[in-house]
This record gives sequence, structure tokens and C-alpha cells, in this order.
Amino acid sequence: MQFEKDWGKKMKILTQLGIIFAVCLAGNVVSALLPFPFPASVAAMVILFLLLLTGAVKPARLGESSDFLLKNMAILFIPSGVGILEQYAFVREHILKLAAICLITTLLTFVVTAFTVLGVIRLQKRGKAVETDG
Amino acid sequence: MAEILSSPLCGIALCIFTFKIGLWVNRRLKTPLANPLLIAISLVILLIGLTPLSYEQFSAGGSVISMLLPPATAVLASSIYREIEVLKRNFLPIMAGCLAGSLTSMASAYFLCKWFGLDETLTASMLPKSVTTPIAMELSVAGGGIAAVTVAAVIFTGIIGACLSPILIKLFKIENPVAAGVAIGTASHAIGTSKAIELGEVQGAMSGIAIGVAGLLTVAWSLVLPF
Repeated sequence: MQFEKDWGKKMKILTQLGIIFAVCLAGNVVSALLPFPFPASVAAMVILFLLLLTGAVKPARLGESSDFLLKNMAILFIPSGVGILEQYAFVREHILKLAAICLITTLLTFVVTAFTVLGVIRLQKRGKAVETDG
Repeated sequence: MAEILSSPLCGIALCIFTFKIGLWVNRRLKTPLANPLLIAISLVILLIGLTPLSYEQFSAGGSVISMLLPPATAVLASSIYREIEVLKRNFLPIMAGCLAGSLTSMASAYFLCKWFGLDETLTASMLPKSVTTPIAMELSVAGGGIAAVTVAAVIFTGIIGACLSPILIKLFKIENPVAAGVAIGTASHAIGTSKAIELGEVQGAMSGIAIGVAGLLTVAWSLVLPF
């Protein structure tokens, strides 16, 4: 019994991985066909989102595999980050400027985003108030 | 010995164990400054510097780990889909916020790079740094940037967002949780979102949605903008 249960679970993970990799492959195809440069993995993300929206893929179908990838995603960036070793000589003299750019743009982005959201919410409320008044 | 070190298994095991150490330190210190990814990268760099392990040997396993990036990016779709009801309810404010925020991030990065006299390679590496790492890396490389610089900038941006967003919320009196959450996610992706989750459930959900939406919109902006 236990064996059958485990086996069923393993097959499920296999199906999940199959769907995810197939979607990635489709992303590569779409990215190659588009007339402008579009990241293949983002194309795969859009395809998967559409599949979920239309109900062609049930969220449960992605289950553990998708949770596993999302939860442990940060680990996948270690090799790219270690790549800074190769670039260090080139980056070293600019490091303070790059840090300053990160700080300033992050503050600006935060403030602009927050006030845009607040502005739209206020406009929507005013719109609703006019609707109910009229 | 050299044979063992140049086996891909060595790099794969290193990634997993250094990240585990990073997670452990992060849980102990409870500060966004002790970012697990940052700790793991530093540990691997230290090992390459201090032990016979070379960068090329590590990369044999590193490239296997990197191969999982596209599937991990694709499943971001399921994390947006999970919050679809929240997204529908606040569709316009979220879209407008992410649209304005990602434009601000890219435009300000572009003009600051020009102002500081940085070359095109570094500018291309800095443009997408506010969005989640897999998307930022792809955009950076497609624009002629260096993936490693982008990864470093993305992590640093996330840490800044996680540390400063509670202060910014107080300073600008952003009491609306939707506005606070979308701002955190748009400005500082997943690392900021970890802070947003601490601030509240609405903030966390909004920040999580903003990671995906701002990521997609940044791709859209990069197609439209002249830089």
C-alpha cells in the first residue's frame, strides 16, 4: 500500500516537471518566433499564466515541483553571483557609483509606486462617490 | 583530487551547502542584511580564493544549477495565479503602480549611469535591477550587460528595500497597505517582499503580486524605451 502511494506521488512529480519543462520549451519557440527580443523564460511564464487562467493546466498539476522551485529559487543565482569574480577587476573602480545608483533608484521607485497606487485608489473612490451621488 | 574538484557534483553540492549555511545564519541574525544568497556567494568566493578549487571547476556544477533558472522563472506564473483574486480586486492601482514604478526604476538607473559616466555594458547591467533576478538577468544579458553585476545589484537593491521600506512608509505616511505592498514589491522584488510579509498579510500578498507584474512590465518597457 505504502509503496503504491509513494509510487503515485513520484509519478505526479514527474508529470509536474514534464509540464514545466514543456512550457519552457514552448517559451523558447515563442521567443525565437517573435520579431523583437523577448526573454524565453518570461515567454514561458506568460504561457504558463495563460494555461492557468484558461484552466488548461490546474494549479494542483504544478504542485510540489512548482513550490520547490519557488521556495529554493535563490539557490539558483549562486553561480551567476560567483561570476562577479571574473568581472571584479572591471567593476572595482565603479563599485561606489553602482551602490549609489541602487540606493537612489530604489528610493525613487518606492515613492513613485506608492503615490501612484494611492492616487489611483483615490480616483476610484471619487468615481464611486459620484456614481452613488448621481 | 583535481578530478573530484572538477566534477559537476562538487559545484552542485557547494551551492546547496553554502546556501543552507546562509539560511541558518539568516534565521539566527533575523536581519535582511544577512541575506542567505549573499552569504552563499561570499562563501563560495572565499573557498575559491583559499582552497585549490578553481572558478572553472566550480562552474562545472554551477552551470548545472543555472540550468534550472528558466523553469523557476516560468513557475512565477503560479505565484501570481495564486493571488489572482487579490489582483482582480485591485487591478487598476496595482497595474498603474507597477507601470509607473518600473518606468521610474529603469529611467532613473539610465540617467544616473549616464551622469556617473558609466559605459554601456554597466548601464545595461543596472537597468533591470529592481525586478526579480531571473528576469533581470535575462534582460541584462540581452541588452549587452554582465549577468554577475546584475545579480549583485539585484541583491543589494532588495536589501535596501527590505531595510528602508518601513522607514519610508512612516516618513511618507503611506498608511494604505495596498500602496505599501505594491511599492515594496516593485522597488525591491522578493527580498523586499520578505519584509512586506512581516508588515502584514495584505502588504505581503500585494508585494508578491508586484514582483511578477513589475517583472513583466519591465520586459515590456525594455522593448519600448529607447535605452
